[in-house]
Amino acid sequence: MTVNDRNSGGLPGAEERDSRLDRLYREAERAGPPAHLDAALLAAARREVGARPRPLASALRKWRVPVSIAALVVLSVSLVTLVREEGGDELMKVAPGTPPAPKPSGMAPPPAQPAQADAARPSPPAPAARPEPARPAPRDDRRADAQAELGTMADRPQPFLAAPRVEERAAGSPQAAPDMEDGAMRAPAAVARRSAKSVASGAPAAEVESARMMAGSAQSGVPGQGKAPPWQGYEKEPPQKWLDRIAELRRQGETAVAGEMLAEFKRRFPDHPLPPDPGAR
Amino acid sequence: MSWGAESSDEELMLGYRDGDAGAFDSLYARHKGGLYRYLLRQCRDAAAAEELFQDVWMNLIRARAGYTVQAKFTTYLYRLAHNRLIDHYRKHARATAVAFDDEGGDALLELPDDRVRPADDILDAKRRAARLLELIATLPPAQREAFLLQQEGGMSVEAIAQATGVTRETAKSRLRYALAKLRQGLGE
Repeated sequence: MTVNDRNSGGLPGAEERDSRLDRLYREAERAGPPAHLDAALLAAARREVGARPRPLASALRKWRVPVSIAALVVLSVSLVTLVREEGGDELMKVAPGTPPAPKPSGMAPPPAQPAQADAARPSPPAPAARPEPARPAPRDDRRADAQAELGTMADRPQPFLAAPRVEERAAGSPQAAPDMEDGAMRAPAAVARRSAKSVASGAPAAEVESARMMAGSAQSGVPGQGKAPPWQGYEKEPPQKWLDRIAELRRQGETAVAGEMLAEFKRRFPDHPLPPDPGAR
Repeated sequence: MSWGAESSDEELMLGYRDGDAGAFDSLYARHKGGLYRYLLRQCRDAAAAEELFQDVWMNLIRARAGYTVQAKFTTYLYRLAHNRLIDHYRKHARATAVAFDDEGGDALLELPDDRVRPADDILDAKRRAARLLELIATLPPAQREAFLLQQEGGMSVEAIAQATGVTRETAKSRLRYALAKLRQGLGE
């Protein structure tokens, strides 16, 4: 009998199989590994899986989405931070002599005008709603108004936008400054504002300074209220005043406050060009 | 993940590669007996067989991360076992390793002939099976390996050739010799 006569059809290697030998072999002793070897190998296999990281491809498949989301968030936060910081540098790219384009806050920007026309303009027109600090009202009356206003504000929470009104009314009350808790801390800012304000309005420097201080003190003294914003008192000022103030703050080293004010400036005057170096002004 | 009988060996090994220890449990349960008997009947020493058995599985465990399906899993597993066995031969009995390369065609003449046994010694199935194991042990290592790979690994001639690193014709020849000698030894 030949091998092919005994082939087991359908089995692997059927061309070289002997079905009788296959049956006989299966009836032979079926020895197996001892149980302790089984346990040791299975434990080793589990240890190996637990001890080593998964293959890179598998790990990437599992963590692809969370890692992508995390990377996106980190990138977005970095970009926003960078853009905000870069915004400050924009100030240094614009020529210092560029006149501001005054716009009333909260209104849509007007159509862009040619740069030459802006440059030829001698001075920016003051907004119609701009408050005039140097009013002809008697000095004593203004002081009384400011004191009355301070007393009122100390008693009740003050809305954020009420500050300019306080400033206007309190201009000319220098003796109120020592009473304010925040007066000393705001002194450098007041000094900075004084020069700009007095130049623009012609009001006495002491009056302007005290008005600034009172405005800030009135806000900070209200229980439950946060500090007054750095642009308090500039809401109705032209953009150039804002820039002067920002440059002043930077020169004084108050970069954070200057940054806040610059952000507010950009929000209010989005199309206004920025000078190249506000600190040099 | 649970692994059933419908999962192929290759799927199980890929599952284990990807960190599923349960896949290895199934794979081990499927092949531990065959691999152990292959090693035991090749080296004919239980202690050595256990050591080799452990080494082969540990090699597979350690190599799991780089596993890719390039052939049947049994071919892969018995290739590991074959290589480990050759190392064992070289270390312990060089003569055996040399004999591994010998086709052993003439060994047929040395086998005991059952046909000369008395009639009352006719073996029942169990005894015939035991006799088969004795005959297997007398085969030249290469032929014995081919037969055991076919029986325990369920491998085709091509797979045997791959696992042992020889040509298909060589594997076929070894298997043919082995079968002929076993049949002759059993008196068929």
